[in-house]
Amino acid sequence: MKYILKALIVALLILSCSNENKSNEINLYSQRHYTVDKKQYENFEKLTGIKINVIKANADELIERLKNEGENSPADLFITVDAGKLYKASKMNLLQKINSEKINKNISNDLKDPNGFWVPITYRARIIVYSKDRVSKEELSTYEDLANEKWKGKILVRSSSNAYNQALMSSIVANNGDESATKWSSSIVKNFARNPKGNDRDQVKAIAAGQGDLAIVNSYYIGLLLSSDNPEELNAGNSIKVHFPNQGENQRGSHINISGIGLTKHSPNKENALKLIEYLTGENPQKLYINTSHEYPVNPLVQPSNIVKKWGDFKRDSLDLNLLGKYREDAIKIFDKTGWK
Amino acid sequence: MIKLAGNKSEFINSDYKKWTLLSIILGLFIFLPITTIVYKTIFNNSVSLKYLLETLLLEYSLNTIYLVLLTSFFSLIFGIFPAWFISMYKFKGRQFYDLVLFLPLAIPTYIMAFTYGDILSYTGPIQSYIRNNFSEIYYLFNKDFLQIEILAIILGLALYPYIYSVSRVSFSLIGSNYLNLSKTLGLSSFKTFIKIILPLSSPAIFSGLFLVIMEVLNEYGAVKYFGVNTYTTGIFRAWFSMNDISSAIILAFILMLIVFLLFFLEKKYHSKYKFNYSSNTKIQNLSETSLLNSILINLTCLIPFLFGFMIPLFFIINNSIGIFDKTDFQNLIELTSNSIYISFISAILIVIIALFFQYTEKISKSKINNFLSQLISLGYAIPGAVVALALIIFFSGINNLFPSIYLLGSLYILIYALIVRFLAVGKSPIKSSLEKHPESFDDTAKNLGLSPFKILQKIHLPINFSALIIAFIVTFVDLMKELPITLILRPFNFDTLATQTYEFAIEEMLKESSIYSLLIILIGCLFLFILKNLINSLSNAS
Repeated sequence: MKYILKALIVALLILSCSNENKSNEINLYSQRHYTVDKKQYENFEKLTGIKINVIKANADELIERLKNEGENSPADLFITVDAGKLYKASKMNLLQKINSEKINKNISNDLKDPNGFWVPITYRARIIVYSKDRVSKEELSTYEDLANEKWKGKILVRSSSNAYNQALMSSIVANNGDESATKWSSSIVKNFARNPKGNDRDQVKAIAAGQGDLAIVNSYYIGLLLSSDNPEELNAGNSIKVHFPNQGENQRGSHINISGIGLTKHSPNKENALKLIEYLTGENPQKLYINTSHEYPVNPLVQPSNIVKKWGDFKRDSLDLNLLGKYREDAIKIFDKTGWK
Repeated sequence: MIKLAGNKSEFINSDYKKWTLLSIILGLFIFLPITTIVYKTIFNNSVSLKYLLETLLLEYSLNTIYLVLLTSFFSLIFGIFPAWFISMYKFKGRQFYDLVLFLPLAIPTYIMAFTYGDILSYTGPIQSYIRNNFSEIYYLFNKDFLQIEILAIILGLALYPYIYSVSRVSFSLIGSNYLNLSKTLGLSSFKTFIKIILPLSSPAIFSGLFLVIMEVLNEYGAVKYFGVNTYTTGIFRAWFSMNDISSAIILAFILMLIVFLLFFLEKKYHSKYKFNYSSNTKIQNLSETSLLNSILINLTCLIPFLFGFMIPLFFIINNSIGIFDKTDFQNLIELTSNSIYISFISAILIVIIALFFQYTEKISKSKINNFLSQLISLGYAIPGAVVALALIIFFSGINNLFPSIYLLGSLYILIYALIVRFLAVGKSPIKSSLEKHPESFDDTAKNLGLSPFKILQKIHLPINFSALIIAFIVTFVDLMKELPITLILRPFNFDTLATQTYEFAIEEMLKESSIYSLLIILIGCLFLFILKNLINSLSNAS
């Protein structure tokens, strides 16, 4: 017992001695946890000698940590996979504006934050995929059209707890208004092939299994499915086609969301942090992102990955992405009211 | 002479008061973060609470009750029967099953759910095989398997070891007197089981069942994947979707009160029985079985082991082989040592603290200590993310008062949170071990004038040593799987096997996550084998 106690005290002492040198580094609170991110940070470290420290967790949890830490927070950058959460952080006064010509130049104009609080690093579209055999391209048009009775028992989608669905609904509220969104939601729910469940890939598999004919999913999951080495998953991926909704001449374009970075209000290493944002939006890092995670690049000079390119160009909804956060609560209430579980 | 003795016992009484006082302080320390956030938030404007109450909470609560009942049912079936057969009968394979039935405990619940989701899916091995070879009957198998009932079976498979382990110990300690008596009275072995064994073991079984129930209540990843909205979904809906933390905390607090009420009812119910297991009779000898019975018994033991462990393990190993050459082994070693390091320190502290509380409760016999020892188990009843949030709010508050004390983001806080949350796990084996020993030990020692610390050191440490090791191992294995607290409170660049597994799995890259979960499972298994040997030597010794 005494030995255990002694060992414990020594262990705790070692714990407290781990004070690192804190001058040349950047601290990230990140919701992204893709393998490619680690590679990006390593490359940046090699290039600049600036060390990157990361804590990865859910965006809302990280926001709570930032908020409570206040001025004492070690975080420099807050990275999310949803513009809505960046909006939330900026509303809670946790971010500061980013003014950098160099960064500005790297980003397509319509993807920028009008308020200047965050910078996108990649974006993804929430699209419709459909069964090659049972649905023809001509039958598909807009998100709004999914409310049509002809899709009764055919639509697959995951639960309303999922942030990507919440963002989509927020965009519908922002574009069409509360009432219209509520109607849309209750019609869609009537058209569900089954109760919402599973992840995005599961929706595609359910189309392959014939449980439904079309699904609302994020573009990069299809990319991942098509680069799977399981032949059955590949078959499932090949049994569907991709449709970008709302592409008509007077239509707004497909719903997109960004993965983006905000600079924290009390960032202790601001200069380094800005360097990192500039780096990540630059050409080569953008290529690295899109080729491994099948997201879309925010830098206009960079082309999407080959798998993604095959789906063709598409028009993006030019909605101010902050609205995805602003209308989040309305979106949730619509889900609940209309029984989208 | 008599007066002298009186003085002595007064002196000792004041000694016990010190222990009680210390346990109150420590109890406050453990419970303080949770009480602070409840205090801080309960007066806030919890707008969505009313909204949730009106719209979703009834449905979510009914789902939860259904899921808890079903999971309890399956975990009792998977746990009690094998434990009974192994404790009472001789059959081929008995020693093997005795060794391996614990093992599902090493597999994180959500990994079990994701894995089965994948196995049963359209592109999984079963459906693919039938589709490609027996296409005429494929329509029978082309089903949506993400159903609440299937989820309950999977949770039952993942959690039954909590019940199996306590039942196994309890059944093997029931003296032969009880059994002989029931035979003499002409009860069949089934009736003996129902009328004698189960009631005698019910306190132990309930303590295991409580852990199962609390695990189900806090399950988030698996229920979300299966599209089942539970009470915990409501907590996170308030926090993540409606940005209303105070409602989330109030909901978590209500959940905690309900669990506390359950504790209380169970305690009240069982206080009617008071018996000591071991010292009254000798241990029952194993009975012979007929061939038919032996086959039935084998099947009963095989099913939980096969479905709860072998199949998911096989699937995970198969996936790991597929990504073996892409694995960064240096990283793997680092994550493994992080996991072991944090789990090891936390588990030891948990055992020491749990022992302190249980022992103080035993020697002081005071109501306060009894209450405290219930209270410290409650951390397990609230979602880990809420415990973590409590610590963040609490310590940033301290930091604002005393700017020089900045502890958030250090391993201290992480360990603190793990202790708050996992004390219940470590407590349970220590509690049942302390309760088994007759109180005459303490009385004698007290009469001899030994101080509480001496009694602990000279008597309870040695006689409960195996139980302490068991508590350590069970806690350690559970900590290896821990997720939300580590995610939120970890220091920079601190990854564990569990966080890495989760990060891949949540991005729908189950295959990439496999080698990390495999290591969690293998390390867990190693410790569980040690545990098994200990329990064996424990029941042989008594």
